Amino acid sequence: MLTSERPFVRVRRKLREAKNTISSEDKQLSILENEMISLHELKESILSAFGQTADLIMEQVRIAEEEGILFYLNSTIDKSQLQQTLMNKHTNQPNSSLDLKTVEGIQDFCEQMFGGSGYKLTQTAEEAINELLDGSFVIASKNFPLIISIGMPNTNLRQVAEPTSQTVIRGPKDSFVEASSINLSLIRRRIRNSNLRFEEFSIGSETKTKVYIGYMNEIANEKIVEEVRKRLNKINVSAIFESGNIEELLVDKTLTVFPLAFNTERPDTVAGELMEGKICIVVDGTPFALLVPVVFTDFFISSEDYYHHYMISSFLRVIRYISFMIVLIVPSAYVGILTYHPELVPTYLLINIMAQREGVPFPAVVEVLIMEFTFEILREAGIRMPRAVGQTVSIVGALVIGQAAAEAGLISNIMVIIVAITATANFVAPVYSLSAATRILRLILIPIAGFLGLYGVLLGLVVMVAHLASLRSFGVPYLAPIAPLNMKDQKDVFIRFPYWGLRRRPSYLRTAEPIKQEKSDLNTPPDMQGRNGG
Amino acid sequence: MEKENLSLTQLLALEFIFLLGSAIIMGVGTELRQNSWIAIAIATVLGTGIMYLFYTLNELLPNHNLFEIMEYGFTRPVAIFISVFYIIYFLYISSRLNRDFVELIATAILPLTPIEVISLTVMLVIIYIVYLGVEVLARVSEIFFPYLLGFIFLLIVFLFASGRIKLQNAQPMLGDGFMPVIKGIFPGLITFPFGELIVFTVILSSVTHLKKAKKVVLLGVVMAGFSLTFATVIMLMSLGADTMEFSIFPLLSAARKISIANFIERTDALVVFIMLLGILVKSSLFFYAGLKGLEYIFRIPYRDFTFPIGMTVACFTVWVSANFAEHEEEGLVFVTRYLHPPMQFGIPFLLLGIILWKTKKRQKANKKSTAV
Repeated sequence: MLTSERPFVRVRRKLREAKNTISSEDKQLSILENEMISLHELKESILSAFGQTADLIMEQVRIAEEEGILFYLNSTIDKSQLQQTLMNKHTNQPNSSLDLKTVEGIQDFCEQMFGGSGYKLTQTAEEAINELLDGSFVIASKNFPLIISIGMPNTNLRQVAEPTSQTVIRGPKDSFVEASSINLSLIRRRIRNSNLRFEEFSIGSETKTKVYIGYMNEIANEKIVEEVRKRLNKINVSAIFESGNIEELLVDKTLTVFPLAFNTERPDTVAGELMEGKICIVVDGTPFALLVPVVFTDFFISSEDYYHHYMISSFLRVIRYISFMIVLIVPSAYVGILTYHPELVPTYLLINIMAQREGVPFPAVVEVLIMEFTFEILREAGIRMPRAVGQTVSIVGALVIGQAAAEAGLISNIMVIIVAITATANFVAPVYSLSAATRILRLILIPIAGFLGLYGVLLGLVVMVAHLASLRSFGVPYLAPIAPLNMKDQKDVFIRFPYWGLRRRPSYLRTAEPIKQEKSDLNTPPDMQGRNGG
Repeated sequence: MEKENLSLTQLLALEFIFLLGSAIIMGVGTELRQNSWIAIAIATVLGTGIMYLFYTLNELLPNHNLFEIMEYGFTRPVAIFISVFYIIYFLYISSRLNRDFVELIATAILPLTPIEVISLTVMLVIIYIVYLGVEVLARVSEIFFPYLLGFIFLLIVFLFASGRIKLQNAQPMLGDGFMPVIKGIFPGLITFPFGELIVFTVILSSVTHLKKAKKVVLLGVVMAGFSLTFATVIMLMSLGADTMEFSIFPLLSAARKISIANFIERTDALVVFIMLLGILVKSSLFFYAGLKGLEYIFRIPYRDFTFPIGMTVACFTVWVSANFAEHEEEGLVFVTRYLHPPMQFGIPFLLLGIILWKTKKRQKANKKSTAV
């Protein structure tokens, strides 16, 4: 048990068993009172529920010398496992010591035969159908008082591969996959601690998607965990396919372009943030997990920051913040300065720019908008294009943006530089959702700069900051720890302190255990006098 | 109405930006020529005392803002009567500040844009911030605080680096004796910017740890006063007394003098942008205080008033005066002499007296009742 490869299954099973033991006692009573569902009725109701679906398999089997029917959904279960477990030689042997006609007998039988494989005894057809959908097979016999179902879900999905959207140079190269069970094991493998808890939810009235929340029991703030549970339970939609669906339903209802939950495909990011006291939400069927609560500065942090030397990571973080400002401001500043405040540009540079712009028929704002839209189109095309023709886009794009447009007199050369620096800076953001938000804001600021110059840009930025300051993610101010300011949290915001210096968890998460690690002794050179001999 | 909470850092940032806000751009005490910075330094000390009194007012009745304190002191009908004047006062000052803002923009960076447009756009931003709450306003000022400090610092460094600082410009000091300084302080400097701290009697009720706030509010005045004094010295030394006295925006004129390596020059526009944040915060605070008064009178959440009253303020920004000269004259003569003193000192001090008397009486009564 202790060496089980997937400990979370253990926890889940334990929970399920605990539920079973409680409910089976009730059941025993109810069985005596109610009429048992007959095999024929069960067959009828399963058939009527699933209709003519092709993946429902119904087989006659012999189990413990009894005639029975085996139901399963071909598409949900692992067939090789099924053959190994169910059809082993013991199952079909007569078992004279047990009376399979009684509830106790069938329980004992299952304990002996299927113990450890997550069996479940059910009584009604609805339960049996749910078990089928969950990836179990169901055995029923005329003479059994209960229906046996054994979970054997098919986990043969995509293999764990390198992350594609959040890459690092140094650090683990595994990423989440579509199967939530594998995702949970990727997290559990990193945190070998019994305090790591996963809770299962089933969301989507039609799809019944499995959603798990994970948190460190004695670290995460219980109130926030409770709030997440409450919000998950409140979700009332028919279908959930991606964590993005959950994200929209989970965060505060505000009109904002900024992401109020962090999405990642990196298990090391999730594990690291869980240890900080955050809560992760893993949705079955998607390689992107969510982390809540989130603050604005989280989007400038890559998990790699903790693997590189702290000075390098600090430098990289500063670069990311500067890039964010570049994306936001440079195009609108170009418009504002050229249109209203040319005196801000050093004279010779201004003469140069003006000479280039001489042939351009548009005002600066139109020029910028044309180019920014062209780039946005190229970028979107680059993502949607079939791989085979992807090369074409980049060549066409480089030629169109880089040269032809400038030579044709549509735009000035300086404009090419502006678009290029903005585009490049936009790719610096470690998380896509923030860079998408920045792109939208940039496009809002450009026309404002066209109307009101730098004054408009400034007002736009003030509004943006006020808007950011008003946001909250699960009760945590979005701009924490900058506003409200907390000096102790500054060690891991704009710059990263050495790992031994990061002793506290972020105070804005109000964790149950604010100290992350004890003060560690730093190494000093050992006394080598004997060898070096002074 | 949800309870809003301000941290002590936020309070400090708000107060600093508030005091520096328009004072550093418009220039205070510039008519005192070489003595201006001495006057500001003395006014800072007095300002600390004023802030202490305003703080005492809030400390005696925690979680009460100015209007509620007035109710305690004067009973509600009288408090409503006085509140009306305060609301008009706060909103009027808010629109005057916006006018400063608008004139600065119109003079320095957008000379061809009609002032109505500037007034409307800036008011929309203020409305948005105030609608989001004083907490958001405090966070915004917390974020801009370091930038403001940094820019003042950079400005000074650049002025030194450009070799524009001439110590002899500061001479003669106290050339006409001490009387002009006294005349400059009363009622000029003491009312603007320090007396305007009356707004904080509305804000202080939102501070989480009011007991610890005493040091912070006083520190804020000292810090801002010091920065203002220093900035005035720098302006005086780089511009000379004459230019400083007659310049409309002395800080802007000083910034124009910067020229380093033919690259960092004409920084005045940038200075304007940073300093604008100060006026924005200050005007938002006055606007918020006025709305709080309306909330007190009508017992309707102040957010309902934000847009209509904001639009009114935007209109009055344009209507308060026909041109900038009139605006300046009103500010220096009418507002300073007849409007500020009663609102900033007369009523609050009367109120403080009454409340002190009332609390003493209550204490006595308590003592008696416990004795019996």
